[in-house]
Amino acid sequence: MFGQILWWMEIATEAFILVRSIDARVYRKYLAFYIYLTVVFLIDLLRLCVLTLRPSVYTPFYWYTEFLHAGFGYAVILEIYKHALNKSPGAARIARTFLWGVLAAVILKVTWNAVSGPVWSPGTTWAALERDLRTVQAILLAGIIALLAYYVVATGRNLKGIIFGYSAYIYACVVSLAFGSLPGYGLRPGWRLVQPIAYLAALLIWSYTLWSYSPNPATETESKIERDYKLIAEKTRRALARASSFLKLGGEL
Amino acid sequence: MSQLLPYLGVSLLLLVVSALWARQLFITRKTRIELIVPQKREPTSGSTASHRDLGERIFDLVDWDFVSRNVPSEIQQMFLGERTILAISWLRRTRTRVSLLMRAHVAAVGQIADLHLATELKLAVNYLVVLTLCNLLIAWIWARGPVRTRKMVGKTLRTVARLRGAFEQLMARVSAET
Repeated sequence: MFGQILWWMEIATEAFILVRSIDARVYRKYLAFYIYLTVVFLIDLLRLCVLTLRPSVYTPFYWYTEFLHAGFGYAVILEIYKHALNKSPGAARIARTFLWGVLAAVILKVTWNAVSGPVWSPGTTWAALERDLRTVQAILLAGIIALLAYYVVATGRNLKGIIFGYSAYIYACVVSLAFGSLPGYGLRPGWRLVQPIAYLAALLIWSYTLWSYSPNPATETESKIERDYKLIAEKTRRALARASSFLKLGGEL
Repeated sequence: MSQLLPYLGVSLLLLVVSALWARQLFITRKTRIELIVPQKREPTSGSTASHRDLGERIFDLVDWDFVSRNVPSEIQQMFLGERTILAISWLRRTRTRVSLLMRAHVAAVGQIADLHLATELKLAVNYLVVLTLCNLLIAWIWARGPVRTRKMVGKTLRTVARLRGAFEQLMARVSAET
């Protein structure tokens, strides 16, 4: 019963966010994110129809659509990457290297598993696949957030909300799916509620932070950046010249 | 349960990184950090010692050799106590200066397209090593006093010199491009 209530609340919140995005014209600013949300909303409505009209096929239908849900989640990560690092070309370059590196590692692992793994059954396959997809998303998110923190990239309320909301949901997904794949854990009712509760929390965060358009703070003009950087570089060179005396001190000690 | 470790590790990484970023968002008031450097002063006969000279003086054994031979043990304890406070203060100041330097670096190079990943990683690792050494030294000096930690201070200062050397190379390359 509680699960049903959660499900209805999710559908209602998704509809609210989508309607508000059209009203406030925010959907154009974060198109990939709202495509993801629209897909998830339609999936939820389809699942409701299938559960009502054809309950016997609900379980396989759920896993097929859950794979879509996880796959479209990469659109959120692309949206974060696009908006967070478009003003920081250096950090964006490092992020691209990191993203390609993770993708290459995933492809290698999948290929290795396909070549060397035992015969797998459908029941465990979809859950394990979703778990692995979410884990890769968690790694990508952690990398992007680390870059944002390290380079002190300025972000607006919208982007912060998208990042924190989706991170909370992915964190809950990875933990619950990892434990859920253990024998004996999958049948416990409590574990089945972790993902819906986390997703509802993410939706509520997005409802608040995406209420209106709030862009990332603008950076200075290019000429001012160049001037500030030269000033900082000159000051740093002077600081390094003084600090170069540490070389002698280190040798003496 | 061991098959859970990679997944729990990744989720913990995401949680920690998100928490650190959230903390930074609450604490940071400025998006760009300027490196505040004291104005250069002309040397005079009674000028204040530089940061390096202070470090040499604090950890030098000449004063301790004199105190340990010529004064009662109560005065020796007072000397060690005062010198411990000075040493910890100097290390904290070194840590702050290196942190300011690093923050200025990331604020500046974030706008540059041609970042070198290897250099950035090297700087980040060296920075973490310096921070760790400074914190360990502070704890060690607090526990054992400055006299016994002289050798560890030498290692810290050599690591700081390596960090600054790597940073100088990066700045030289960046300034050549600008």
